[in-house]
Amino acid sequence: MSKNFSDGMYSTNQKIADKLYWILRIGIVVNVILLFFPSFNPARVCGIMNKNLSLFSCGVSYDTIVGDFGRAFRQKWVDEADFHSLNICSLTIIISVILSCAGGCMSLGNTKMKKTGLAVSAVGGIVEIITFFWMKGIYNAVTQTAADAGKIDKVMPMFQNINFVYLALGIGMLAIACVNFILLMKVPVEEKFEMEPKYHLFLMMLPIIALALVFSYLPLYGWRYAFYDYKAGETLSPDKFVGFKYFRQIINTPQTKRDIITVMENTLGMSGLGIITSWVPMAFAIFLSEIKNGPFRRFVQTFTTIPNFISWVLVYAIALALFSTDGFINTMLTSITGEIHSTPYLMSAEHSWLKMLAWGMWKGVGWSAIIYVASISGIDQGLYEAATVDGAGRFQKMWHITVPELIPTFFVLLLMSVANILSNGMEQYLVFSNPQNKETMQVLDLYVYNRGIGSGLIPLSTVIGMIKSLVSVILLFGANAFSKAVRGESIV
Amino acid sequence: MDIADMDMNEHKKLNDSVAGTSGMVEKPTPADYIFNVINYLFFGIFTISCIFPFYYIFINTISDPSYVTSGQITLLPKGLTIVNYVNMGKVGDLWTSVIVTVLRTVLGTALMVVVSSLAGYLVTKKEMWHRQLWYRMLVVTMYFNAGLIPWYLNMNMLGLTNTFAAYIIPGIVAPYNIILVKTYIESIPAEIEESAYLDGASYLKIYTSIIWPLSKPILATIAIFGAVGQWNSFQDSLILNANSPHLYTLQHRLYIYLNQSSNIGALASSGDVSTIANSLNTKIIQYTISMVTIIPILCVYPFMQRYFEKGLMLGAVKG
Repeated sequence: MSKNFSDGMYSTNQKIADKLYWILRIGIVVNVILLFFPSFNPARVCGIMNKNLSLFSCGVSYDTIVGDFGRAFRQKWVDEADFHSLNICSLTIIISVILSCAGGCMSLGNTKMKKTGLAVSAVGGIVEIITFFWMKGIYNAVTQTAADAGKIDKVMPMFQNINFVYLALGIGMLAIACVNFILLMKVPVEEKFEMEPKYHLFLMMLPIIALALVFSYLPLYGWRYAFYDYKAGETLSPDKFVGFKYFRQIINTPQTKRDIITVMENTLGMSGLGIITSWVPMAFAIFLSEIKNGPFRRFVQTFTTIPNFISWVLVYAIALALFSTDGFINTMLTSITGEIHSTPYLMSAEHSWLKMLAWGMWKGVGWSAIIYVASISGIDQGLYEAATVDGAGRFQKMWHITVPELIPTFFVLLLMSVANILSNGMEQYLVFSNPQNKETMQVLDLYVYNRGIGSGLIPLSTVIGMIKSLVSVILLFGANAFSKAVRGESIV
Repeated sequence: MDIADMDMNEHKKLNDSVAGTSGMVEKPTPADYIFNVINYLFFGIFTISCIFPFYYIFINTISDPSYVTSGQITLLPKGLTIVNYVNMGKVGDLWTSVIVTVLRTVLGTALMVVVSSLAGYLVTKKEMWHRQLWYRMLVVTMYFNAGLIPWYLNMNMLGLTNTFAAYIIPGIVAPYNIILVKTYIESIPAEIEESAYLDGASYLKIYTSIIWPLSKPILATIAIFGAVGQWNSFQDSLILNANSPHLYTLQHRLYIYLNQSSNIGALASSGDVSTIANSLNTKIIQYTISMVTIIPILCVYPFMQRYFEKGLMLGAVKG
């Protein structure tokens, strides 16, 4: 299907241009990445600006730039106009990067497209160069205002070195665009804009890849917090590097160690209970399929799957309605026995694991059974008929035909739950936990949330999260290898 | 045959053949009778345990507040009224939450479906530059993540904390759904697409005029799962938008009311009368918000059940 655009002589010039294009594209990617990193923000012209702003947020929102400026504005240390200008300047840099991007994308097309792309990149480069001087002007203005107010030490005007990188990128882009334009000068231009399908498809995919990178891969960069003494709201600086301090803390600090042991007990205990009872949905499906009354079976299936689709918050609302001190159960007991019952079922630490298991079952068993129900419907009816002829009873058929047919599915799901042994999720345990049952309820995911978001112990909770992620991946590979060895099929 | 019809038939077959062993008529033995009775009883009771909580909350919301507060509602509503819902309507922050939740459900689901559909189509195209690499990159994210805290710090760094966009943008690329769509599109006969290509249609044209209409069943499935996920989402509101009450989702709002109630409930057992009155008032609020939060799911689920099951089956094929 692909058409060859480079018919005829492919000149040395074009080869050089292709190499230069790669430099251009890499430069553009670097430029895009820089936009999102607060530590490389050229628009941070003074110390009172928030350290955690990226150029991108400076460009899209004026309010975030001046978020901490209340006093500085009131006392005229800085001029509002300068920061409006800064906002527009940042936005212009973003636009210049977008232009360069467009040019870079067009460089994947035919010569006509390439040449147009070069023009677009060149404009992007020029705009970026101009913004360097604009930024310099803003810096001078801010310094001037601060000096007039005599508050240089408070405002701390600064001209970020990263501005020179942006300038270099702009100049580089412009230079490559010009050189390539000269190199491609003699190459004849086609009538239409066209692009090879492989690049065309790639460019359509690019935004999706970019989103995945930003939201799934970029967080990995946050693992560096595990090695720094970091408190929420600060910036990282090399002098805060502490190496493996927080890794050691897990083992060396008695308090943390005790916490971790309890948390691991809860995690493994509740996951273990889940694994031990993982046959229940299968049994549920087998017995359900023994019900010959179609409408009743359908009814059961519909209503036992509904709880799977409500949130844990709602499950907790239900738990409160039924089991709180003035809930349904206590009210019923009171009215039946005549004595006042107000047992705090939810507020006690007794049998926490079993209670959580029960709620998990209530919510999930009907839905988990559906996969087995479908498998049962796929079993060859001939097997049952042959068994009947051989004189097998109902239970014998269930045990000797249905169960063995379901075992492969069961096995896969079991391995997955073993691989997920550390990931109980936090929602269920968060909503059900209260001061009374906190000890027996805190699983790993919830502990990370409580420490990290609740208490702001970012490095420690990052370390725990990191270890958890790595162990989970190892478990998954292990389970997969096991599955391959035993069944000859992988599970992922 | 239309693919949607095929789905319908498959589904019917699935339900009809659940009975499994219906091939032959056998003489029931006493053991069979006992088994059947126990079996029906078990499923009957379990099903009731799944329905009753919703019913119980519902009758409390349509009963007169004085009966509810004195704990007189057990199996039947008393003093039918809609006053609880009317009162609820006066609570401003509930409306904000409803609007936020509805908006994120609609917008988030729509964007996710469109992007999953396009991405699912694109990753089936073998001629794409480094297709395997991009596809694997998406798949890996399902099995591996950096963890909660790095995720939070990342969102913070991107300036997405305390914004509505935090509900929408991260969810646009959903690798699992992309895989489902890809698998589905691969099952569509390749000839249909090839003939269109030979007629000179562009990829985008093929996508909009052939792939999109043909893959509607799977898109409906991922849309419905996506919508339920958005409606139920609670963690992003709790973690990312904790400082912006105007962005709290319905689930988050409900969580706050539930906690208030249980805290006040704990006080109430210590005997402070005014807090008891307060707590019982919170109880009605709590029931009513629960109902508001559940109703869309209860209304939609029975009609959409086949799409849910379809989604589960497709996921199972993929593993």
